[in-house]
Amino acid sequence: MLGVRALFGIGLLVTSRGGSVLTHTGACARVASNIYNKDLAHRQACTMANTIKYLGQEEAQHIDEELFNEYSFSVDQLMELAGLSCATAVSKGYPLQSLLKSPPRVLVICGPGNNGGDGLGYEPSVLYPKRPNKQLFQNLTTQCEKMDISFLTEMPEADVVDEVYNLVVDAIFGFSFKGAVREPFGDILSQLKKTTVPIASVDIPSGWDVEKGCPDGIQPDMLISLTAPKKAANHFKGRYHFLGGRFVPPALEKKYQLNLPQYPGTDCVYQLN
Amino acid sequence: MNHSSNEKEPETIEPLRYLSKTEVATVETELLRDYRFGQQQLIEIWGHACAIAITKAFPLSSLSKKQPTLLVVCGPEQNGSIGLVCARHLRMFEYEPTIFYPKRSPQSLHQDFTVQCEKMDIPFLSYLPTEVQLLNDAYNLVIDAILGPETDLKEVKEPYAGMLVTLKQVKIPIVSVDVPSGWDVDEPAKDGINPEVLISLTAPKKCATGFSGKHFLAGRFLPYDIQKKYELNLPEFPGTECVIEL
Repeated sequence: MLGVRALFGIGLLVTSRGGSVLTHTGACARVASNIYNKDLAHRQACTMANTIKYLGQEEAQHIDEELFNEYSFSVDQLMELAGLSCATAVSKGYPLQSLLKSPPRVLVICGPGNNGGDGLGYEPSVLYPKRPNKQLFQNLTTQCEKMDISFLTEMPEADVVDEVYNLVVDAIFGFSFKGAVREPFGDILSQLKKTTVPIASVDIPSGWDVEKGCPDGIQPDMLISLTAPKKAANHFKGRYHFLGGRFVPPALEKKYQLNLPQYPGTDCVYQLN
Repeated sequence: MNHSSNEKEPETIEPLRYLSKTEVATVETELLRDYRFGQQQLIEIWGHACAIAITKAFPLSSLSKKQPTLLVVCGPEQNGSIGLVCARHLRMFEYEPTIFYPKRSPQSLHQDFTVQCEKMDIPFLSYLPTEVQLLNDAYNLVIDAILGPETDLKEVKEPYAGMLVTLKQVKIPIVSVDVPSGWDVDEPAKDGINPEVLISLTAPKKCATGFSGKHFLAGRFLPYDIQKKYELNLPEFPGTECVIEL
């Protein structure tokens, strides 16, 4: 009974690396079974022996660069998948039927960089004060506008937020954030510190140092780490920590020893706590 | 979907619309031009949704062979790129896809999808064996992402005609992406390939009316305005699912 090994043996199968055709029967069969079996064994070993890795800022930036440069992912693609993970995590942590206020309004606050893009995707209202000039972000904005998602012109006061929205999605600053917070984000963050509705932060609670956290910064109820959690997540004290961004190629995961957990079925999020 | 409950009208549910070839092209142009969706973004959404539909039709536990192998056959245009994205997500879902992609698209947009698959260590076949038994033995199923609604059937040359002949003879299930390859978008091909499963993207096409196999609708991103404008009458997807069985 012939199987995949036989296809390799006949020289039909080409491995992805270098695209060269393998012609040696013995080597082929071994390579074939190794391509998939090795990854599975590695993943099993990882979840048993090691815990998931928490990334520093530089590492996170390197991984990002590699995904775009080596792995040829486009920003569009990854942002779409990351946004999907965020929306899914929010719906798991705050299911529609659990929301106290009707209609199910959610405030999504988007910052200037890539983290802002991820935040765009319940009855969401968007606050997107500093839109980058890049076509991608203009396109994402148009998509939202055409979905009749209302855009706020300024940050509501904390008590208004508490009255109108069920939760706030914080997609202001991501893992490349460094230095001082510029306006209008300073004011936005100070309002967020006063609100009582839950905050779900995308990748890094905005205003936090990517590695050290921030004891007097916003304290979100949910954190959605993308790709892999960052060191700041060690200081996260909220109820829900989700991992999202299910697109990490096995080779990249191995290179950085991310030790990612096995996502359940086809889910694009994994609950870490 | 953001239409609130007080918009539901107490009338009978309108039937799902099946689109013609020109309508499919018009909707897509509108998505790209007016709604500013990116081509890669759409292909990612479709490929991901396709993969999820496949896991519903053929869960890992249901596959009969020892390894969860499947063959993804990709054509030169958009349908093929959707197949590449689908293969990548199936890999993430612990399936073992192998890709056959004889004529790679020259567009850099589509080339990126190839690199992404290669970098996921997904093997690529160098040619499709005509001996059908090899395919039947090696794979649990075949995903047909060869020709889509964008194809001009009169222009279909080798190697696709030959590939379709081979696929018509396989005994393992065929899952077609969007339109069974070789079928006219507007009507089924009488002696074309006969997939067991059809995964319609965004909205079903006219040729799928009366499709007797398992039929999924995949891709949950269409703005409500477009749905209303073309009277698509899409069904309500359950929960946060992006796939629904029709």
